[in-house]
Amino acid sequence: MKNLPFALFATLALSTAAHAKQITVWVIDGDSERPYFLQLQDAFNKANEKKGLTAKIVPVPSINDAIQSGFLSGKLPDVFMLDGPNMANYVWSGQLAPLDSYFSKSTLSDILPAIKDQGTYSPDGHLYAMSPYDSSVLLWGNKKYLQEAGIRIPKTLKDAWTLKEFEDALQKLSRVKGVTWPLDLKLNYTGEWLSYGFSPFLQACGADLINRKTWKSTGTINSEAAIDILEHLQSWAKNKWIVPASGGDNRFYGDKTAALVWVGNWMWRAHKEGLKDDLVLIPAPKFCGNKQVSPNGGWSYAIPRASSNKDDAGKFIDFAMSSKQVALYSDTTGYVPARKSAIRLSKLYGKGAEGALMAEQSAKIALVRPVHPAYPVISKSFGDAVLNILAGANIKSELDKAAKEIDQDIQSNKGYPPFNK
Amino acid sequence: MMQNHHNLSRPAGQKLRRNKLKTQEWLDELLLVLPASVLLLTFLILPFLMAGYLSFTDQRLIPRPIPTEFVGFQNYLTVLRDPEFWQAFKNTAYFVVLVVPFQCAISLLCALLLNSELHLRSLFRSVALLPLVTPMTVIVVIWAALYRIPDGFLNSVLHLFGFQGYVDWLGDMTFAMPAIVLLSAWATFPFQMLIFLAGLQDIPMERYEAAKIDGAGTWEMFRYITFPGLRNTNIFILIITTLQAFKLFTQVDILTHGGPLGSTNTLVRYMVQEGYSSQQVGYASAVAVVFVILVGALAVLQRVLLKNE
Repeated sequence: MKNLPFALFATLALSTAAHAKQITVWVIDGDSERPYFLQLQDAFNKANEKKGLTAKIVPVPSINDAIQSGFLSGKLPDVFMLDGPNMANYVWSGQLAPLDSYFSKSTLSDILPAIKDQGTYSPDGHLYAMSPYDSSVLLWGNKKYLQEAGIRIPKTLKDAWTLKEFEDALQKLSRVKGVTWPLDLKLNYTGEWLSYGFSPFLQACGADLINRKTWKSTGTINSEAAIDILEHLQSWAKNKWIVPASGGDNRFYGDKTAALVWVGNWMWRAHKEGLKDDLVLIPAPKFCGNKQVSPNGGWSYAIPRASSNKDDAGKFIDFAMSSKQVALYSDTTGYVPARKSAIRLSKLYGKGAEGALMAEQSAKIALVRPVHPAYPVISKSFGDAVLNILAGANIKSELDKAAKEIDQDIQSNKGYPPFNK
Repeated sequence: MMQNHHNLSRPAGQKLRRNKLKTQEWLDELLLVLPASVLLLTFLILPFLMAGYLSFTDQRLIPRPIPTEFVGFQNYLTVLRDPEFWQAFKNTAYFVVLVVPFQCAISLLCALLLNSELHLRSLFRSVALLPLVTPMTVIVVIWAALYRIPDGFLNSVLHLFGFQGYVDWLGDMTFAMPAIVLLSAWATFPFQMLIFLAGLQDIPMERYEAAKIDGAGTWEMFRYITFPGLRNTNIFILIITTLQAFKLFTQVDILTHGGPLGSTNTLVRYMVQEGYSSQQVGYASAVAVVFVILVGALAVLQRVLLKNE
């Protein structure tokens, strides 16, 4: 009977193991996100130790493809992160469970309005996706080069460069020693970046990817305003002012052969380490008259309808959306916190902090991407057009093609009811 | 009588035994073929039949609330009318035309080198096999650094020769496809080289010895012994390399995303884009069927032409 205590212990351990519940969470796989998610897993498991609830967080590369295959094969985790603008498509397909009931009223009123807009499906008004952060795109500059070229450096949204000033700056920077390309537009990125990063050009000029009332693309994406502004974009490429796709990721913060870069918050850490005190944040230019637009939104937590453990999944998202976790997400990755209370906690975005400009952009000039089930096609068609235009294609025919593709997709899905009503 | 009986019974007994033997052989053969057939059926024939079925519907990638409908030949008509499909077809053909002779030539050359009396031969053999065990995605990342502008390896070489500026290997319409060809040939040539090596070692040494006595030089030995001796190997390699080349996807998807201006987009990438990004599985299935028919027809044509030779 020497082994009795051990046997008892073993039975006990086994029985708690049988009661223990584990939820699986798929998250995006990025250098800056990885440490955050490790921390989140530990914190959640510690907080729920007594309830026997644990979360297993799995970073998934190409998570978009993994989710799509998951829908088909029925193999999905209890929680996954999806790119905000894809939410409407998944909800329309009947793949997501609503999240409203998992958050308290006070949490919901603390979330940034733009993040709620991104996660709300307009036909039924329910919340289906919740992002811990908001993103923004602005210009980052190398102060040394800008000063050498004698260019005024704007600091607030109001005194942002006009299009003419911006092009003037590019021209001057192209003559500065050490600068191979005045501007990096991150053409080494693919996929969603192209529509996310370049739609503000259109939107600031009164055009858009699709008309958000009639849900028709023809006449909007290929309008005169869109063509005009993309002509400017194409001319920068023709002047060899833009880092080509094969230039790689680190021209701005690595070998410093680029003087300005149009990119989002996620590059904060890399930029800071590379440029140190030479790094300046410059607001989105006024591309048309006095108007400026920046994109927003990002990867969000969601629960697949097929999950058999929605309540625990909901608990996990609620935990990950706590002010503390949201502030930590922001401090680790450099994104704007999705909760007002977390903005105050954040080292980067609090009052007078370095990132204040980005938080201001998110609040004042950000425009949510079209929340419509056709978004995947809208995004791909416009992205293809942008790449071809930068490579020198005819602007009008590229935009006409994109408009046709988008409208055809909507038509072949019978208007994505109830969106056509 | 006895003899007669004997005569009668013998063939009957033999026939029975032969039948038994035949059944046994047949069973053995079946057993041998079975694993491969199961794999082929589940991963090749069944998916193809499914694609054939889906190509007549408007099936989407993610299930949707409105029912999937039969659309007849609509998808096929759209495929054949889409200029992007034809551009991808042209690009793929261009790739095949460039890569097949190039890759066959370097793999034969390397096989010849490794088959000769080389110092450190086994070391060279292992080194030559390196690309074969490296995943394509890793190879692509390495080559992206070689092609990088303005300071990648290839541009640095150009600088050594006094060239000012740089060439955007992957961003220039003229260079993008040849750059992909070079990378692809390097990444997959060891497979062909191995087969060539086996073929070379199959050629009897006596022929070379006899030729040497007759005073033949290296070129003559290659021309009259080695090359004819490799006839079957050549046919096999030509067909397998062509089929392999048609599958071009990973390299262009990572390196050029089909650009600039669609000049490196391939049939497989076009199919994946339509099926995944645009979520039109029905349409992508039609592309797949057209693709299989095209490649199948080409393989048959190659066989017929090479047989008649």
